[in-house]
Amino acid sequence: MTIRNALRDHGQRYRPRMACLKKAEKVLLEMQDPCTGVKSQPQRLVITIIPHAITGEDIIAWLADRFQIDTEEARSFGSMLVALGYIYPLQDHKRLVIKPDASLYRFQTPYFWPTQQWPVEDTDYAIYLAKRNIRKKGILELHEQEQYNHLHKWMNHKWDFIVMQAKEQYRAAKERKKPDRVVFDCQERAYWVVHRPPPGTVSAMDYGLHRRTDPNADETQTPDYYERIMIFTQQSIMRPRVKSSVSIGALVKYCATYSGHDPFLSKCLPSNPWLTDDTTFWTLNMHNVEIPTKMRVERWTFSFKELLSDPRGRDDFRLFLKKEFSGENLAFWEGCEDLKWGTAVTMREKAEQIYKTFLARGAPRWINIDGKTMEITVKGLKHPHRYVLDAAQTHIYMLMKKDSYGRYLKSPVFKETLKKAICPEEHKFNEVQLEQNARNRRPSLSPIIIRQQEQEQRAKMAANAPVDITQLCRFTTPVPHLAVYSGIPDPPSVTASPLFPFLAHTPVCPSPISVALDSTSASERQLETSEGEGNMEARAPDGGNLSKSRMALSLRRLLKRGCSPSAMFASLSPKCHTAAATSSRIQPIMPDEPSHGPPRRIGNFFQIKVDIPPECRIYPIESEDEDEENRPASRDRVGTEEIICPWESLSRQNGTG
Amino acid sequence: MGKEECKTMLDALNKVTACYRHLVIALGSTSDSQNLREELKKTRKKAQELAVANRTKLTTLLKDKTLSKEDRAEYERLWVLFSSSMELIEVDMKRSLEIGQDFPLKVPTRHLIQTGMTGSTNAVAARAMSVQNMKYEGDSNIDTADLRDLQTEITQVSQMMEEMEMKVQVAPWAVVAKQEAGAELKSNMSVGNSSVGVISICEEEPKDDEGGGGREGGAASIGAVVVFFVIVTVALVLGYLVVNM
Repeated sequence: MTIRNALRDHGQRYRPRMACLKKAEKVLLEMQDPCTGVKSQPQRLVITIIPHAITGEDIIAWLADRFQIDTEEARSFGSMLVALGYIYPLQDHKRLVIKPDASLYRFQTPYFWPTQQWPVEDTDYAIYLAKRNIRKKGILELHEQEQYNHLHKWMNHKWDFIVMQAKEQYRAAKERKKPDRVVFDCQERAYWVVHRPPPGTVSAMDYGLHRRTDPNADETQTPDYYERIMIFTQQSIMRPRVKSSVSIGALVKYCATYSGHDPFLSKCLPSNPWLTDDTTFWTLNMHNVEIPTKMRVERWTFSFKELLSDPRGRDDFRLFLKKEFSGENLAFWEGCEDLKWGTAVTMREKAEQIYKTFLARGAPRWINIDGKTMEITVKGLKHPHRYVLDAAQTHIYMLMKKDSYGRYLKSPVFKETLKKAICPEEHKFNEVQLEQNARNRRPSLSPIIIRQQEQEQRAKMAANAPVDITQLCRFTTPVPHLAVYSGIPDPPSVTASPLFPFLAHTPVCPSPISVALDSTSASERQLETSEGEGNMEARAPDGGNLSKSRMALSLRRLLKRGCSPSAMFASLSPKCHTAAATSSRIQPIMPDEPSHGPPRRIGNFFQIKVDIPPECRIYPIESEDEDEENRPASRDRVGTEEIICPWESLSRQNGTG
Repeated sequence: MGKEECKTMLDALNKVTACYRHLVIALGSTSDSQNLREELKKTRKKAQELAVANRTKLTTLLKDKTLSKEDRAEYERLWVLFSSSMELIEVDMKRSLEIGQDFPLKVPTRHLIQTGMTGSTNAVAARAMSVQNMKYEGDSNIDTADLRDLQTEITQVSQMMEEMEMKVQVAPWAVVAKQEAGAELKSNMSVGNSSVGVISICEEEPKDDEGGGGREGGAASIGAVVVFFVIVTVALVLGYLVVNM
């Protein structure tokens, strides 16, 4: 059995926004009064005369008189009655407004009134469309045709009934006299214009979500009701208070700042799409637009939150950070956001990735957070959940806000963007153009398709990202691998694939560096080629679908290259991160030990001047010399080891130990 | 055969449903009157009789375990037709109750909505009842008494539908319609002959209401055909002459 009215009824009554319906019905009854109501006149069609037609100006005059309001307001009230479907226009039936001239209207029969109890059924609409099909001999309007096909597909099991009923209703209608037939057709058509509006009309029937309870009903005084009141008052007492001067000051500041950007309060350039049906405003403000508008750029200066929440602003900021070589902060922040908002299935993986990329000792894009936060985070990562990285994320956010944001606003990147920003001219549409716009309204691309396109674009950019060396502080964690991979222009917020290349390279530390040791100039060339190669093959698969085997394959390949001149490296290779990893397995955070071993060698490798961010602390893991002895032993395990997450390592330790 | 009978009865029920809807639409408007209320009452009664008859017939047919697959599918289709009709009737009955209560007839000042419909609905009701002319018994308490009856009837119908749902296991979404899109444009679709005292066999009619647009179109096409033949004959004659020259 199909769903009957009773089941759907629970939501129908409780739409307080539609409380106006009962009041409108009362007004309508008053209008019917032969003495004090609206004056009606007969309508003349070709040969028939149909009574009870009223003119727009009469309606407006009556409303103004009855409610003692001015004509403007009476006109909008009248338009509301038409939009709700109590009165319908006889000419220009698709535009549900009242025109203050001699255009004719008529009252709708009570069966077709928009009462709250009777939901508009698709079955009825299908029958109506079938009848119209018969009447118009198959020539329906475009939107009607679309609806017809849609209903035919979804109500296919009832289609026999619909066809039968349509034919019967059509024949039954013929039993009435000609004027009544015309009136009935107009009535039905008007009803469906209100409830299934053709594209280009505004519907007054949008009422929002259904509700289960009636918010206007009196609540029964149960103990539960009183308990809720008690909890509410207790919480109100405990709430911290703010001086009204402070809170009002904040409100005033907010209003002053944002009033120019609010489309309700001030002009929206070039034109408000909801009013003029012209979508230039939306196309100019899309996510990935090249040149933003001036208003948008101005918004970025309001607060750091604004900058980050606008995708174009975030891109700009990312560009700036890339130039400053501190892109890892933003990348980490985005990774945390991704973790928070992602699916539960991928959470554990993502947390691991983020740890390996940003937090672990010797991580490729290591971020700078204080020891305490790091401790808390790593402890939390043993049992990762959605908000495990919250503390670290907040720290990094405040860091960016207090430091990078200020510099960004003074930077040439921002100034350039501001200079290039466009200020579109205002549209001036006349009536005819507005109607044409309304007719040409078409739905835009589905958001699913837009998201797919964005992902493809991101993957493409990640695949041919230029080599960008970040993290070149002399005092940061073991540099060898850092040389190998680059900062990805697009942070790995959506896919995990850009993170994999880092992993692929970490165990391979000896090879590029050892080759580089031979000669400085040769080293650079080698670095670049090996980086390029390594990056290419590791990044070629996009979409984050790298399997372990693939990674292992690239590892093996790189290893082969690296292990050939093996004798050379034995004494030369600087502290391998894996060595670090072995000793740091249990204690992720070791006390700082200043060591000047690495800098000596690193100075040979990298001829590039690096901006050392002021907060960069000396954070080497342990001294160089200790590891020299361990290295031959640990070298065997180079191929198999990678950055190990503390929670994983514990179990392994237990297993082997 | 059971199937033919079923189809006939369903046809009749369908007709009554359509007419009832037309009558309910006229409620509360200026074409409302004593007569209309009576018509509604009579049509309702007829609808209920037909409904009960259909239901018993279809349930007996569906209970038969020895049905072939096609038969079963066919009966399920008829069942869906029947239940959809019943749904429409039930909704219309509820709405007529509400509108009837809102627009009472026996009050000193009637406030009927001036919808422009002034004619009577006799013909529609006559079609529903399958008689030539309607006879009105004209009870003066038609409003209140009728509404009370109506309430009881509504509860009866709701109960019947619930029973139907419980007892008959038919999955309505599994039914495949026989009609394809646009079937209403083709002529003579009716499931069977609605022969229960019918006035006339209704045929599909292409005539339009407003103006003789169709007629003009037909004339133009005939003219075109005639012209075509004239040209062809002239061409043949000329060709014959040329050949003979």
